[in-house]
Amino acid sequence: MFTTAAQLLDLTDKKLLLVLRDGRKLIGVLRSWDQFANLMLQETVERIYTKDVYADIQRGIYIVRGENVLLLGEIDLDKDDYIPEPYRKASPEEVHQLHLKEMQESKRSDKTRQSKLKELGFEVEHNGEILL
Amino acid sequence: MLFFSFFKTLVDQEVVVELKNDISIKGTLKSVDQYLNIKLDDIGVLEEVRYPHMSSVKNVFIRGSVVRYVHLPAAAVDTALLEDATRREAEQQATKPR
Amino acid sequence: MADAGDGDAAPVSEPLELVRLSLDEVVFVKLRGDRELKGRLHAYDSHCNLVLGDVEETIYVVEEDDEDDEAVKTIKKQSEMLFVRVGDSVVLISPQAPG
Repeated sequence: MFTTAAQLLDLTDKKLLLVLRDGRKLIGVLRSWDQFANLMLQETVERIYTKDVYADIQRGIYIVRGENVLLLGEIDLDKDDYIPEPYRKASPEEVHQLHLKEMQESKRSDKTRQSKLKELGFEVEHNGEILL
Repeated sequence: MLFFSFFKTLVDQEVVVELKNDISIKGTLKSVDQYLNIKLDDIGVLEEVRYPHMSSVKNVFIRGSVVRYVHLPAAAVDTALLEDATRREAEQQATKPR
Repeated sequence: MADAGDGDAAPVSEPLELVRLSLDEVVFVKLRGDRELKGRLHAYDSHCNLVLGDVEETIYVVEEDDEDDEAVKTIKKQSEMLFVRVGDSVVLISPQAPG
């Protein structure tokens, strides 16, 4: 179990949650991968959570470049499609709009935060890229 | 390879992995590879409400490059041994032809 | 080139040698982002990945109040043993902690 391949082998044909560097969350079945952790997902669904709502968007087959993967989680089939409080399902359009607004707000507060910290001699760790 | 070997000695220990996006995931260290990609079993997320998408996940594969910290149980780490290994590795690096 | 295997007697010929001399000493580490660490150095490698014991982490946070004034506050966190994945995020490692 001490190579990337060995770690991914266990996850093959499992239903997984994929969190990408830009904050996107994909849910799908892992069908194929290589030593760089490039991944191929089947029956992919993109799930967006924002405020107190969420939406699923059907995406089909996805190939994801390994470097964009933040983490891969195996979904417990007993808890599959368990949605925690207070989230309720909404239309993708509604969720998308809310999400955009939320992202803009966080970008704005990120900016003020970073300029303030720059005065103290700190450099940013990342450019708001890694969100979750 | 120092930390790869180090993490191999910590398999089956309970650790908390803090990612660069601030999410902290607690779990049992199951495996590690040469890039320090980490696999955790029986995970729990600190501040669960902020990360709803993690609620039905039981184990994770985390890319080494997105890790900020791994919090370790101090009792599982032999610090004297670790320091010796670090000195040995540093010597090897220094004598390497460039 | 310094003689390898001479232990601590070897002269400091490159930056990481100074880090080696700090093993088992308390060091101050500044990271990219808004974080600083103080702790006992137990291990490092050529990428500057670290293991620190008895760590105090200081996080600088900017708080915005209702009048859009920003104040910088610090949060302190303790950890008994910490692996620090640095890659490119270590700014400096100092044998002496400021303050």
